[in-house]
Amino acid sequence: MTNATPGTGMPAIQISDLRKNFGSVTALDGLDLRVEPGEVHGFLGPNGAGKSTTIRILLGLLRADGGEARVLGADPWGSAIDLHRRLAYVPGDVELWPNLTGGEAIDLLGRLRGGVNQARRDELCERFDLDPRKKGRTYSKGNRQKVALIAALASDVELLLLDEPTAGLDPLMESVFQACIHEATAGGRTVLLSSHILAQVEVLAHRISIIRKGRIVESGSLRELRHLTRTSVAVLTERPADSVGAITGVHELRRDGEQLRFDVDGEAMPFVMRELAGLGVTGLTATPPTLEQLLLRHYGDELGAGVGTGEGVTAGAAR
Amino acid sequence: MSTTVTGTRQQPAPPIEGAGQPLAGFGTLFRFMLRRDRIRFFGWTLGLTIMLAYFANVLKIVFPSIEDLQAIAVFSSNPAGALLMGPGFGADAITLERFLVGTYGMYLIIGAALMSILTVTRHTRLEEQSGRAELVRASVVGRYAPLTAALAVAVLMNALVALLMGGLLTGMGSDAGGAFLFGASVGAAGIAFAGIAATCVQLTEFSRTASGIAGAILGGGFLVRGLGDMSTTQGGELGWLSWLTPIGWSQQVAPFTHDRWWPLALSFAAFVVFAWLGYLLSARRDFAAGLVPARRGGAYAPGWLSNPFALALRLQRASLIGWSLSLFAAGLAYGGFTQAMIDGFADAPPELLVLFGGEEDLLTGYLGLMGLMFAMFATVYVVLAVQSLRTEEFDGRAEPILATAVSRSAWLAAWTAVTALGVVLLLFAAGLGEAIGAAASTGSGELFGEVLLGHVAHAPAVWVTLGVAMLLYAVAPRVVLLAWIVFGYAFLFGFFGPLLDLPEAVVKASPYEHIGEYPAEDLSVLAIVVLTAIAAALAGAAIALFRRRDLVTA
Repeated sequence: MTNATPGTGMPAIQISDLRKNFGSVTALDGLDLRVEPGEVHGFLGPNGAGKSTTIRILLGLLRADGGEARVLGADPWGSAIDLHRRLAYVPGDVELWPNLTGGEAIDLLGRLRGGVNQARRDELCERFDLDPRKKGRTYSKGNRQKVALIAALASDVELLLLDEPTAGLDPLMESVFQACIHEATAGGRTVLLSSHILAQVEVLAHRISIIRKGRIVESGSLRELRHLTRTSVAVLTERPADSVGAITGVHELRRDGEQLRFDVDGEAMPFVMRELAGLGVTGLTATPPTLEQLLLRHYGDELGAGVGTGEGVTAGAAR
Repeated sequence: MSTTVTGTRQQPAPPIEGAGQPLAGFGTLFRFMLRRDRIRFFGWTLGLTIMLAYFANVLKIVFPSIEDLQAIAVFSSNPAGALLMGPGFGADAITLERFLVGTYGMYLIIGAALMSILTVTRHTRLEEQSGRAELVRASVVGRYAPLTAALAVAVLMNALVALLMGGLLTGMGSDAGGAFLFGASVGAAGIAFAGIAATCVQLTEFSRTASGIAGAILGGGFLVRGLGDMSTTQGGELGWLSWLTPIGWSQQVAPFTHDRWWPLALSFAAFVVFAWLGYLLSARRDFAAGLVPARRGGAYAPGWLSNPFALALRLQRASLIGWSLSLFAAGLAYGGFTQAMIDGFADAPPELLVLFGGEEDLLTGYLGLMGLMFAMFATVYVVLAVQSLRTEEFDGRAEPILATAVSRSAWLAAWTAVTALGVVLLLFAAGLGEAIGAAASTGSGELFGEVLLGHVAHAPAVWVTLGVAMLLYAVAPRVVLLAWIVFGYAFLFGFFGPLLDLPEAVVKASPYEHIGEYPAEDLSVLAIVVLTAIAAALAGAAIALFRRRDLVTA
């Protein structure tokens, strides 16, 4: 196996049929995942779906019960140390040493990985507005997260494994984070970004895999996944447009004042457009499906409990 | 007219029930704590009672007649006995009860004190530190309700201990008055320390520091009253030292001898004073804050903090310094009593002197035994160090380290090495104190080097316990506490084995019985080599097996 560098075609992460049980709880149930070099891969799913378990297997902290995982071409359990020199990890719940300062923790983690880029470390402290002289026990959740993020982003690694890295950050810091990730990919790094915050993944990810109950249920680019669901359309026409309702793939047609509203399957869009063109369109709004809608499709009514709650609720061993 | 209208308007809404009452929610919290502690509660109370029952039965078997008991009882009227057990009231006309109370009473008192300290910190500071108390306090719960409920649980536990112990001894045929007074003396010390803990938890933001401070007060009290009791047996001037701590007050009750109840009033007074101080301090501080504010530190890590060994050293540094100073002080105190000890033992019965290796050389016997005692202290440090490694993992601080280029082997080996070196440091500190104290007491420094060596030489035995604890951690981190069995076994048979005339094999199963209590006995180089090898093999197995298991994650 050779190093995974952009362009060589070998995936940065390749997982097939991964299985992991905690006692009688099945955390991963035949998970497949492929992350290409240089991409930001959104790893999306509700709490307890198995995101953290997957990442911990990729780190060699947990041993898979079945299936195969390769990180940068190597076995994460057997070659953990060599791999850890080439990747950085940010856990979702960052715990720091009570009596070490944030700055000390950043330096320690960086050095243990094989060295910190001092200038970048200082710059990141500045950008994330972190006071590195406070003791670990006095940091809020958001500030602990910044410590781990800075330690990860300041090292020269090929792969970033980020497990809900911004759960405790405010919107301002979130945008700093997004800028940092753009810089990282511009520098050729690969990012696996686990999240249940959909907006974040939408902004950053090139491709997305959706995990549910230990399995990947959808995988592809945002565009490919949108193809699977419906666009909401509101249209204002000179002549009555009710004929649109007859097209296969148009759902929930309803009149809202002067506007006509309906949902369209991706495949049916060309037919709808053709039909509308002849009716004298004077106004049209098409809303692409959000990831919430993508997830709703897969989780149905379970969605409310897990997704979009902002800060994560730990869901037992499978988290 | 307008006044009336305004008055009506300004009439406050009817008070919400419980709001503004400092004890609102007490009943619910109290029941909730009991519910949380339903196993712990009976574990402690029944555990202490069962210990008493065990001691009482062992005594009956080992010393079937009063004459047997009398021969051994003289021990407690000598300095070493006074130090380890207390004043030993009624030793001249011994009964089983008097012996039981005089010999084992203090350990039950200490047990009750620990029970109280841990109970109070667990339900107050630990809850605040973890953030759970924030949820609780944000509901209709008064400012003082959590502390009051925690104190109520602790008092209830101690009251139950007092009743159970009194009932047990009465049931075994002892005088009911003395029996319940003894039970009360154990419970009263526990209640006093519940009050002390209520103050300690206000001082710092961290429950471990809080229970550490309370534990230090308990340990300091043990030492101070030990000096007082030793002085009393020598007709010295320092007997008043015994009256400075709840342990001393409970012992001065002298159940089955003087049956004094009034020293217990001191314990209750201490409870009231310290609990009041705790309430006072808690009203002066912010939620989740300590009275001592956290300091800022460096923006950069020092250059040496760049490998797992340095990290382990950094994380153990504070406790290693604290322990070294404490053991040095304790060594100094015990060493300082060497001459008094020798004088006091001049006419002790030979059955007893066996503990010190016979009467020919009481001096070296005493100093050798102290070496073994400090090896037990170092063992406590070792097991606690392994427990805190487990906490590193369970709290999620091991995970980011092991996600860097640090191997599991290196991480575990670093912690083991720092702990093993820490053992040498602690034994050296204790030995140094002991040697200085002994030299000052006897007026001769000729044993200085030998005493120091005699203490440090126990390190390989302590390392074996370290190896056992590490192996338990590596394989099944949830059962690390089983390592205390090694400590308990060694302590019981190391100090009471010679008195109990146990089979050789039983005593020799303890790793601490092979190196020799130098300078009283020869040092066994073979034992040192073999024990070091065993410890290294255990640590090696731990390192090898640790690579195989999943990390415990949140």
